[in-house]
Amino acid sequence: MMENSPIENDAVRRFSVFHRFLHIFVMISFTFLAVTGFSLSFSDQGWAGLVVSMLGGAESAAGFHRFCAALFYLVVVSHLIWLGYFKVVLKGRWTGPHTMIPNSTDWENILQNFRYIFGKGKPPLFNRFSYLEKIDYWAVLLGMQSMGVTGLLMWHPEAFSAVLPGYAINIANEFHFHEAILAVGYIGVVHMTSTHLTPEAFPLEKSIFNGRIARRRLKAEHPGEWKDRYAPTAPSEGTTDPADAAS
Amino acid sequence: MKTKVIVPAALGAAFLLMGVLLLTKSEAPSPAGAVSQPEPAVVAVAAPEPMEAPAPVELPASTAEKPERACLDCHRYANINTNEGVLAANGMCNECHADPACDRTINGHKASLHVTPEELGKYPHEFVACVQCHADVARSPHQSDAGAQCRTCHSVHGEKTAHAPHLRVDCQACHRRSEMVRLDKTDHRVKLAGVDADGKPVDLTDHRLAEADSEDNCRKCHRADNEVGAPAAILPAKSALCILCHPAPLAFGHPIFALAILIGVAGVFLTLRFWLQGSVEGEERSMHRKIDLGAEAVWRTVFSRKFFSMLRVLFLDILLQRRILKESVARWSVHSLIYTAILARFALSLLAGIRFWFDPENPMALALMDKNHGFTGFIHDLLGLFILAGIVWVVIRRYVVKPEHVVTEIADNVAVALIGLLVVFGFIAEGVRITVSQIPPELGIHSFIGYFLSQLFSLSDWNWQRVYPWLWWIHALLGAAFVAYLPFGKMRHMFNTPLTYLIEDVSGVKREKRV
Repeated sequence: MMENSPIENDAVRRFSVFHRFLHIFVMISFTFLAVTGFSLSFSDQGWAGLVVSMLGGAESAAGFHRFCAALFYLVVVSHLIWLGYFKVVLKGRWTGPHTMIPNSTDWENILQNFRYIFGKGKPPLFNRFSYLEKIDYWAVLLGMQSMGVTGLLMWHPEAFSAVLPGYAINIANEFHFHEAILAVGYIGVVHMTSTHLTPEAFPLEKSIFNGRIARRRLKAEHPGEWKDRYAPTAPSEGTTDPADAAS
Repeated sequence: MKTKVIVPAALGAAFLLMGVLLLTKSEAPSPAGAVSQPEPAVVAVAAPEPMEAPAPVELPASTAEKPERACLDCHRYANINTNEGVLAANGMCNECHADPACDRTINGHKASLHVTPEELGKYPHEFVACVQCHADVARSPHQSDAGAQCRTCHSVHGEKTAHAPHLRVDCQACHRRSEMVRLDKTDHRVKLAGVDADGKPVDLTDHRLAEADSEDNCRKCHRADNEVGAPAAILPAKSALCILCHPAPLAFGHPIFALAILIGVAGVFLTLRFWLQGSVEGEERSMHRKIDLGAEAVWRTVFSRKFFSMLRVLFLDILLQRRILKESVARWSVHSLIYTAILARFALSLLAGIRFWFDPENPMALALMDKNHGFTGFIHDLLGLFILAGIVWVVIRRYVVKPEHVVTEIADNVAVALIGLLVVFGFIAEGVRITVSQIPPELGIHSFIGYFLSQLFSLSDWNWQRVYPWLWWIHALLGAAFVAYLPFGKMRHMFNTPLTYLIEDVSGVKREKRV
């Protein structure tokens, strides 16, 4: 059993199997959504034609886009179900050092981080999730609602225009397109750089894939989490603390 | 210099070729002449007397009064993809068919062909051109060989809507309101009847669609002593549980099947709960922690080199049953006859289901769903025979030969009886189906067991139309019982054994010889 123990001497666990699984699903479906969606909206470009022909035509690419969208939304639903499980069955807390909810500490962290970037202070001390990770999370969770609604409007325009005015479909189309650019831009620029292009993680941040993070790194980057869960004063590694189980 | 010679030569050759082409073209029969002779596919339900060839269409006298036209007003390819084009194209049809006097004579009776545009406006196909469905009528002579076409726009529906999607039944037979149906012996399809039992033409001008999912509509055919070879009762569509052996929809289906699936799924969950009981480190309840640790272990194994060794076990020990072969060739043969045949039927059904899901027009999916298709009929009977042979061998081993190491418990008897009866009743039901639906020998012969049985049954003058629903229900209930019983009885080894093999391989447990 020891060889399969999630916690090894040099590394501790940061993400559960469930979360790694969801991340892989989000990663794949998001990539294909971006590729198919932009190939369809930039259809006059040569590369778009190539991609669409590889996917078997515009109809097929659109079908693939919707399939991936359904997969993506399935992840959102699974996550919401898990949140309920976390709260009700595991009696977990949504606040505290493991929180995803933005609070005043995040604001202080942002200011502190900018002071640090400009050489006027020490790096901020994050809890379980830094403000950047919280932005990542809420961008996906809220963005998927608006992308989902606008996408659904374009998927079934006949059904929706029975209750909404026709221009709602056009608005949905514009909204969907621009939010897609925002999302892909954010993932491509902020999410990728802030995770992979840090000296500690470069060239690849693996902790969302193998769930592990070196003790040393956790201590340095998320001292709040470290203190709460793994520091010698905290409960032992075999803890049954709900927050640990939820990790 | 050379090019100068080649160019005129090439030109000459081209002209020659054109000349030849033109010549052959003028010799070819004109398209109108090539049209095969009248469709006298219309045969009476009870009185299949040959009817007279359709009289040539007499243009109404009013036509002469119509304004003069350019040739291309009519002889053109109508753009029926726009509402304007549809209206223009229908205008041509309406010139005659809107006239109450528009009719034709069948068997000495006048049949109205009067269709009013106002009436048509009320039907679901309001914005569809007449020639969209009646695709081959705009020509001379003005008659249809193929009838109205539904499947240029619509796909066949799946098992969920109708049992074995009625692949030998024309769309119109169910979806039109006309009550008269007939079995066309030439292509063995159930169609709308053009004439009734007395040879009088049936009025088919009502273009409204029937409520296809109402039971009354099904009773057009599914009633006692029908002429089209339908079972006397309306049977439910297949359920998802049938997919073990038959192409089936992703639906619960009849409440009894739903119950069977729910019992089966509940059994799986109970088993999992049992496995996850107990504590890891003395806690009261550790299910969450056990799942957590188990998932972590699975994750690390799958994303490691052990994955390949798991693949090997999956192929050799699970798919090819190597470990059973090492123990006993006889045991491996018995087990493979049953297990491989069920697995093959399952794989074929899954293939049909998935292909149909993505493309309802896929010929392979439709062939696999069609019980009378040569390949499907043959392979289903062959695999069924394998299962039956395996079961017979098991019965001989367990109850006649009785080797010392074979211990027979109640669970074994139940499993053997369930599978055996399931297959036996499957074959009997198939035979009766072939008898009832009057499948001709050239089609039925591929189902070599079913067809043999059907010949046997047709020796008796039982009312097989009434017997078939009973047989179908017995087979279906046995299937439901099999699925519900899966996680509880002997059959749970279908999940347990492969899982044990994989866990043993990953954890490196030395395997002791099992008997």
